[in-house]
Amino acid sequence: MSTNVEVLSAEELLKTKKRSQSADIWKRLKRSKTAVLGIILIATFLFMAVAAPLIADYQGEALKMNVRERLQGPSAEHFFGTDEFGRDIFARVVYGTRISLFVGLISVSIALSIGGFLGAVAGYYGGKIDNMIMRVLDVILAVPTILLAITIVASLGANMLNLMIAVGISNIPGFARIVRASVLSVKDQEFIEAAKAIGAKDHVIIMKHVLPNSMAPIIVYATLKVATAIMATASLSFIGLGVQPPTPEWGSMLAGGRAYIRDQMYIVLYPGLAIVLTVLSLNLIGDGLRDALDPKLK
Amino acid sequence: MSKYILRRLLMMIPVLLGVTFLVFFIISLTPGDVASMILGNGATQESIIALREEMGLNDPTIVQYGSYMKDLLTGDMGNSYSTGKAVSGEIAQRFPNTLKLTVSAIILSVLISIPIGVISATRQYSLFDNIGMIVALVGISMPSFWVGLILIIAFSLNLGWFPSGGMEGIMSLILPAFTLAIASTASITRTTRSSMLEVVRQDYINTAKAKGVSRSVVIRKHALKNALIPAITVIGLEFGVLLGGAVLTETVFSWPGIGRLMVESIQRKDTPMILGCIIVFAIAFSLVNLLIDILYSFIDPRIKANYK
Amino acid sequence: MSENVLDIKDLIIQYHTEEGIVEAVNGININLNRGKTLGLVGETGAGKTTTALSIMRLLQSPPGKVMQGNIALEGKDLLSLTEKELEKVRGGLVSMIFQDPMTALNPVINVGDQIAEAILIHQKVTQDEAKVKAKEMLEMVGIPGARMEEYPHQFSGGMKQRVIIAIALSCSPKLLIADEPTTALDVTIQAQVLELMKELKVKFNMAMIMITHDLGVVAEVCDDVAIMYAGRIVEQGSLEDIFRTTKHPYTEGLFNSIPNIDDRKSDLIPIKGLMSDPYNLPEGCSFCDRCNYAMSICKTQKPEKVHFSDTHFTECHLYSENQEFKLKG
Repeated sequence: MSTNVEVLSAEELLKTKKRSQSADIWKRLKRSKTAVLGIILIATFLFMAVAAPLIADYQGEALKMNVRERLQGPSAEHFFGTDEFGRDIFARVVYGTRISLFVGLISVSIALSIGGFLGAVAGYYGGKIDNMIMRVLDVILAVPTILLAITIVASLGANMLNLMIAVGISNIPGFARIVRASVLSVKDQEFIEAAKAIGAKDHVIIMKHVLPNSMAPIIVYATLKVATAIMATASLSFIGLGVQPPTPEWGSMLAGGRAYIRDQMYIVLYPGLAIVLTVLSLNLIGDGLRDALDPKLK
Repeated sequence: MSKYILRRLLMMIPVLLGVTFLVFFIISLTPGDVASMILGNGATQESIIALREEMGLNDPTIVQYGSYMKDLLTGDMGNSYSTGKAVSGEIAQRFPNTLKLTVSAIILSVLISIPIGVISATRQYSLFDNIGMIVALVGISMPSFWVGLILIIAFSLNLGWFPSGGMEGIMSLILPAFTLAIASTASITRTTRSSMLEVVRQDYINTAKAKGVSRSVVIRKHALKNALIPAITVIGLEFGVLLGGAVLTETVFSWPGIGRLMVESIQRKDTPMILGCIIVFAIAFSLVNLLIDILYSFIDPRIKANYK
Repeated sequence: MSENVLDIKDLIIQYHTEEGIVEAVNGININLNRGKTLGLVGETGAGKTTTALSIMRLLQSPPGKVMQGNIALEGKDLLSLTEKELEKVRGGLVSMIFQDPMTALNPVINVGDQIAEAILIHQKVTQDEAKVKAKEMLEMVGIPGARMEEYPHQFSGGMKQRVIIAIALSCSPKLLIADEPTTALDVTIQAQVLELMKELKVKFNMAMIMITHDLGVVAEVCDDVAIMYAGRIVEQGSLEDIFRTTKHPYTEGLFNSIPNIDDRKSDLIPIKGLMSDPYNLPEGCSFCDRCNYAMSICKTQKPEKVHFSDTHFTECHLYSENQEFKLKG
């Protein structure tokens, strides 16, 4: 009877400990001014993506070609000017946010789930399975990431879905590696042995004990990878292998405006800035998280 | 030592085999008919069928892969679908240009980033450090093709100091090399800095100070040597990123390298050329990583010992 | 005058951190002569390492700060020296051995060079002469000279510590500070290293400060003992004084914490509680909460020094009225 009460209070203790741990991490994150800046920036972009229809009219401004209004500089009517087809650049930048954030998040989710699964299995079971998985991933890693993504999109056809698949696949080895490393560092600790000793099944151990304790580096990595995924999306669209026109995407806007940079440099300035700021904000958050989660810096 | 190098070279082979298979397989998924594309619109049904037979396009993918590999072993990468000329010749002509660009970029990066990283670490939290780190963060956030365009606008179109494209003389190398170098400089600087910060906290640094070693010697001889170890790994990784980035930079600056060749080949659906380019990229990347590992073992005696 | 090697007066050191001020060292005095070994005993956090680092002026500053006090080495005021002058002192006049031998050696430089480096800094010799001397030092600590060109990872923990001792003694310092040199080693290796240190101490006629929490080590090596608690020396005396006529309740607690090898069945008597929070030291005696003899005055007033002899004193209210008070033992 008394043992049950003790076990309960241990669980309670664990829950309160976890709660105060996350509160502690949030507090430390807030301490970094740059991380807070990053959070504000990305929140702004998220807002732009979600509330796009409230800010600009898709059909009327982002897509509608109006040859008479082409190549106009920034003005009160067109904040960022108009592009070579007379479309409002500001509206296109706003809607482009949707594409970038969406593709970035989805592709990283793909990479995280598949790569994470492979890494967890490799790290947990070790031995031949580990060897096999790592060798296959080494093959993927031998090709520079962008080039692999380019090849995949080039073969499967250039559209948003294939873009997400391509960027996702090229990021799988990275996630596999980091999850594997985290799992390796946790699995030899004693509480894992204890779980095994009471007969817990493997997949339960992995999901309930190993993964939650190795979350920190994975979260940091994932944040930084969303940043590179957004970069990759823009890069692929720039060379024509991403989202196809007329859909507004920051990279393809740069490609389109390239011929006019002599006199209308704003065509490439604003979409480019959008890329820089989005990627920067994610990098700031990622860095801040890394410092907040580092026990050595307490 | 040479045994180690030999062993690593041998280990490269299955990886490269894997790469060729992977890429071949991916490209084979391309929809559309190659033969009719080559022959163009006016081609007759029979000529298309004949060409397909001749090119072995009716065989299963594995067989096509096998015959490709057989040719590859003799250095034959097939012929371009668009020009009909040998792929290997085209690549051999353009690859040195890419090499020129990427090597210049990485040398530039290393020369700038390591001193800045060291200084930032030794003057942690100073103005230099804070500004430096913000600049570095912005540096890795800027897409290379955008940087290239901005640099062209500023230094080529407005100031007229450099040409805006092509490969003529050293002036045309500067802007593209700088463009490529920006992201890798930022990355290597950050790694050097964080690695130095780690090292400076180590006990053996205190031991050195307790011996009476002067501060500059502690940094140079004791700290830097250890801090370079992870930095070198990043340099190797960054080279891979550079190879990828070369594709974009070469496009922006119309630089005649294999990056631009690959993009053109994709637009022309020139499969053998695409394959050839990727394989060369993969080999180059693997060789660089091998070089890095060898360099590693020279600096870190613990690793050297493992491979005596 | 040439007898006195180290003279520390009223040393107060604080760490100014974001979370507050840590009162690490709160007014200690140390006086050490040639050839003598002082044991600095106390738990983690007592301020021993901070004191040692400050003698070498190796305190991380920020956040560490010497608030007041004097540190004199052979009469020279250490706190006023420039960085250049300090470099001559470190390794030359004073050497320090740190706690963990596994991480105290630079992994990418061979051991011979690490010893030779110290020699080249403090003595006017050529590279080759330094190498010869380095080899001699290795042999002196019991490592074959032929292993000069090997790297730290090729040595065991005990041998690494010997290399570190070789480095520390290579320039015949007048004072050696050893910060828990044997804590990270196996017991059998501990004995060997301590023997070596005793031998070398005599050979070089050095003064030595042995920082430890292990009273067994103290008994082996030390002439005098200073017990530190919460940044103060709460009892100091010769080896005899401390071991035979223990005065301070904390010292008594330390002795009682040692398992009794003759009476295996007897209970361990730990000192209850934990050391006080250094961010917030209590008003009265810092040991009050954990003391079995605590009186009401202990809570509010810091105890004064009570001298029992030339060598032996303690800071405790128990003796301010009655010098003859006896601890329960």
